[in-house]
Amino acid sequence: MDFKLSEEHQLIRTSVREFCQKYVEPAADEIDQQARFPEDIVKRLAQQDWLGIPFPEDYGGAGSDYLSYIIVVEELSRACATTGFTLECHTSLACYPLFKFGTEEQKKRYLLPLCKGEILGSFALTEPGAGTDAGAATTTAVLDGNQYVLNGSKIFISNAPVAGVLIIFAMTDKSKGTKGISAFIVPGKTPGLTIGKHLDKMGIRGSLTAEVFLKDCRIPKENLLGQEGQGFRIAMMTLDGGRIGIAAQALGIAQAALDESVRYSKERVQFGKPISTFQAIQWMIADMATAVEASRFLTYHAAWCYDQGLPYSKEAAMAKLFASETAVYQTNRAVQIHGGIGYIKGHKVERLYRDAKITEIYEGTSEVMRMVISGNVLR
Amino acid sequence: MLNIIACFKWVIDEADIKVDKGSRRLILDRVSYKISAYDRNAIEEAARLQERHGGSVAAVTVAPPTAKQCLKDALSRGPDKAYFVNDPSFADIEPSQTASLLAAAITSRIEFDLIICGEGSSDLYAQQVGPALAERLGIPCATYVNKLTYVESERLVIADRKLEDGTETVSVPLPALVTILPDTNTPRIPTLKQVLGAAKKPIENIPLDALGQTYAPRLQTLDTLAATMDRRRLKFGPDPEGIRSVIGALMKEGVIA
Repeated sequence: MDFKLSEEHQLIRTSVREFCQKYVEPAADEIDQQARFPEDIVKRLAQQDWLGIPFPEDYGGAGSDYLSYIIVVEELSRACATTGFTLECHTSLACYPLFKFGTEEQKKRYLLPLCKGEILGSFALTEPGAGTDAGAATTTAVLDGNQYVLNGSKIFISNAPVAGVLIIFAMTDKSKGTKGISAFIVPGKTPGLTIGKHLDKMGIRGSLTAEVFLKDCRIPKENLLGQEGQGFRIAMMTLDGGRIGIAAQALGIAQAALDESVRYSKERVQFGKPISTFQAIQWMIADMATAVEASRFLTYHAAWCYDQGLPYSKEAAMAKLFASETAVYQTNRAVQIHGGIGYIKGHKVERLYRDAKITEIYEGTSEVMRMVISGNVLR
Repeated sequence: MLNIIACFKWVIDEADIKVDKGSRRLILDRVSYKISAYDRNAIEEAARLQERHGGSVAAVTVAPPTAKQCLKDALSRGPDKAYFVNDPSFADIEPSQTASLLAAAITSRIEFDLIICGEGSSDLYAQQVGPALAERLGIPCATYVNKLTYVESERLVIADRKLEDGTETVSVPLPALVTILPDTNTPRIPTLKQVLGAAKKPIENIPLDALGQTYAPRLQTLDTLAATMDRRRLKFGPDPEGIRSVIGALMKEGVIA
């Protein structure tokens, strides 16, 4: 057993920290308050080879492993959860299904520019009436000659307003329920595809989230990803891996909450002493540090399983469940340690507290994580 | 074509140093290490000159074997090859010894036109290794450099030296050594491919006995205590009476006599 990161992984972490210190930390507060998409930073992410980390160089990726990717998401999220998530959504939800299920031609045409960072990717599964219950989707795809015609609407689609390509799920055979769902590669500028306005969110406010409308949107037949009816499986496998990414995002948020709390509690003096000398604060810090460390081990272990080619569905669900609930609880504690100042806009823990919540919801809610875990444990 | 050597030191990351409040001793059991700040500028400058003029960049360090991970870090920042002069006894090495070992390693193994060092290290900032190394190699040295230009046709470098009373521009025939300041450049943040590519670059391991040099530690660190700053909370006005009070207070403290 070896708990030590390799020299490469340590260097990757150091390089992301340098990057965050220089470009991300100074912008994070403004990204949140202005709900501004960090386009400039995303361009730099591409220059750092971080937009296709775990994919082969032949497809424009960096040819690294999943753990490297996870470390990058963690460190970016520690500075700015919007930036961490933008990269996560692009990598896990758009690049991965193309890499795993795409034909050679689809990979060259779409995965390559995605990994090189020439375009961003998005993933459109959720509908107004079909969140966790993906089988209730009403978006349809009908084959008409050499084209599929897509009709319907999607909601809460991250990166959609800036996406060069979207992986869109639609029913090709409604009578089959989840087995009637198919996945399609839809270029961002396809006629019939329109993107709604940026939804005003509680947290990760710089991440662009919008509705996606499909009205007689025609795409070539060869843009079917995988087989007809394979869409639900593609979505579930994609989300399995994505959960490790969200665990890493939550871990970064929780780590930042701990960092801020340690720093502040040593500086803040009450009753003539730094509040870090009071047991009430010490116990909160101890619990935070322990939960953050446990989240890290679960998350890295899930990534390691992925890299080893071992089953990782249960591990990813455990990592996401624990890390996201840690992020929500511990950012709450961080605000408590800060007191009044932690409730003021522009203070990092106030942002962290809002950013944390979404990690319990997207790419599978905590309730779904418990279903996945219990399903694995009880079978 | 320019063959460059960038020298660097692996130092404790000062951000990780904690101080025991009672004893003022430094707590170093969980510190991480990094390439000394100005040495990163040295490596960056070497990499930029190579990008502009071709040639090679070798990164060289003298350190205990435990510092091995510094090599990939250095290589991810541009150099083609790293030389690792190491021995467990190098923990308390002092600058003239470092210069001597570097000189021996360079003379026996590395072709160069230009050596770039950081002006001083982040930990001791003795500013000794660069000039001492130049002296041992018998080559000219320019210190406090914040701008460096290579004139290919004349085989020389033009260096701006940032001095207390102004900037001095000197031309130095190659081979030469320069020590550079942090405003010379902004070191790159290695890309992922550069980090991964570092593992494929050659590293030459040079144990002490391969240099034909003897080394006996001459420096022993007995203790290190954190500096403290006590504020006296005294106020002085800008009048003759205030000045007399300042002088009186300084004399009382033994700062002046």
